[in-house]
Amino acid sequence: MSSNSIWARMWKKRQIYLFISPFFILFGIFQLTPMVWSFYLSFHEWNGLGAPEFIGLGNYRFLLRDKVFHSALRNTVIYWLANSLAIIPLALILASLLNHTWLRAKRLIRTTVFLPYVTATVAVGLIFNMLFDYNSGLINSLLELIGLAPVPWLTSVQTSKLPVIFLNIWRITPWHALILFSGLQAIPHDLYEAATVDGAGALRRFFSITIPSLMPILFFSFITLTVDAFRIFTEPYILTQGGPANSSISIVQYLYINGFSIFKLGLASAVGYALTLILLIVSFGQIIAMRRESGLMEGN
Amino acid sequence: MKTARTTRITVYGLLLIWCLVSAFPLFWMVSASLKPPSESFAGINAFIPQDPTFANYARVAQLVPMARNFVNSVIVAGVGMAVTVFLCSLAGYAFAKFDFPGKNALFLLLLATMMVPPEAGVVPLFAIMRALGWINNLLALIVPNAATAIGIFYMRQYISSFPSEIMEQARIDGAGDFRIYWQIVLPVITPALAAWASLAFIARWNDFFWPLLFLRSKEMYTLMVSISVLPVSEGLSTPWPVIMAGTTIAVAPLVVIYLVLQSFQREGLALGAVKG
Repeated sequence: MSSNSIWARMWKKRQIYLFISPFFILFGIFQLTPMVWSFYLSFHEWNGLGAPEFIGLGNYRFLLRDKVFHSALRNTVIYWLANSLAIIPLALILASLLNHTWLRAKRLIRTTVFLPYVTATVAVGLIFNMLFDYNSGLINSLLELIGLAPVPWLTSVQTSKLPVIFLNIWRITPWHALILFSGLQAIPHDLYEAATVDGAGALRRFFSITIPSLMPILFFSFITLTVDAFRIFTEPYILTQGGPANSSISIVQYLYINGFSIFKLGLASAVGYALTLILLIVSFGQIIAMRRESGLMEGN
Repeated sequence: MKTARTTRITVYGLLLIWCLVSAFPLFWMVSASLKPPSESFAGINAFIPQDPTFANYARVAQLVPMARNFVNSVIVAGVGMAVTVFLCSLAGYAFAKFDFPGKNALFLLLLATMMVPPEAGVVPLFAIMRALGWINNLLALIVPNAATAIGIFYMRQYISSFPSEIMEQARIDGAGDFRIYWQIVLPVITPALAAWASLAFIARWNDFFWPLLFLRSKEMYTLMVSISVLPVSEGLSTPWPVIMAGTTIAVAPLVVIYLVLQSFQREGLALGAVKG
């Protein structure tokens, strides 16, 4: 086919291109341009005034030895692992609980358990700040009531990540439960009946029918959870401001501080690229690890 | 099939605990916001305010321009939602129902953009916003998210199942592509539009990172930024009841809208497999 006819075909469909153009135009201006510019900046030192000064890999080398960045990276990975290990199983349990056909007041229960996701992260952060307060928080006063010592949740290096993790679990689990629930409903009932006739117990049915059938959706859950976890910012920012001693700081918060508090714009750009790279590696790792179960290969 | 009594009791018990844990922080927030400063909010007997007062709500309105911030949040979430539902469904319609050169490549590109964290380019993005004169302007929050990859993806998946024969019939009757979208497709896909609209509204109402970055004065803040500065707006001593009053004002509209929508819809919001 000659290129002439391709142009002619495209011209015929010009209205369709118009329909999809807003996304690509906005993406070009507000995401692609910043990414390219950011790449350039990541090899420079710049405080926003004057001309950027070329320093080669200086910013990346700085990141490799900066203790604060190491904390940010370690904390973010811990948030991601804790989220994956807690949220997916909890969401699966909640979805299975909701999936009983004889359940009454289904809509009331579903509405209530989904409330956390509707609640803004900033708001939950402030509420958790009050609940986990060392002196006047409800959590510590309940601990004391059962004879345990109060825990300096937000002000100790050992525990400062826990409220952040709890907040995530509380707020995000319902969203994943809802997705998994829609997946559970799509599993044909006769599969379970056949297995029961064959003498499979509840646990056996769960692991040999439910889990394999849910794999594509579990995969989707893992990927979205990963992307969200690596972009975490609001939770530590509101709860602990990343402290004490950077023990709860996240990568995006580290980026934010460098870019908008101390104006190391080149370094902040390098952090952005490091984050993108880490996220791509982790996502692709997950895609490869779960490629057979993910449903991505179907039809090949 | 008959289910054993113990199974039923266990399931209901677990769900009850789950509901309590889900609702408790919100209950605690409202309860704390009604307490006079002297009342304690630790311990078992602090669950219900002894002497409820609305003074904290008046106080928080003095500390920050709450009414103004409220309007800002409504504009960002409302206008943003309307625009994004329109543009995402239009693009989703194009990807679902038409063949055109480069379609698959463009769709793959669209999916690939979802993997790149938008925070990565934030420094130049700030410079772009400054060049556009959009720092401290709500447009900086509405325009970049006017069409999102995940929204287009969701709409395409949904519109794919729309029967093409109906479109063909309309085309024979002389309707153009946009008129078919506007008069035939849109009315049929309202469930998807409603689900997407609510997710888009929630995401924009609750957004924090971008408003924190682009909004620079108290009057232009959205509610989320406004309540985030409450703990330090009066030195370190803003009392918790006042902060919780602000938090309640920021959270209540969404929760109320959500509860109303849930009780009106027969199937509940089919908050599908995607988010805004």
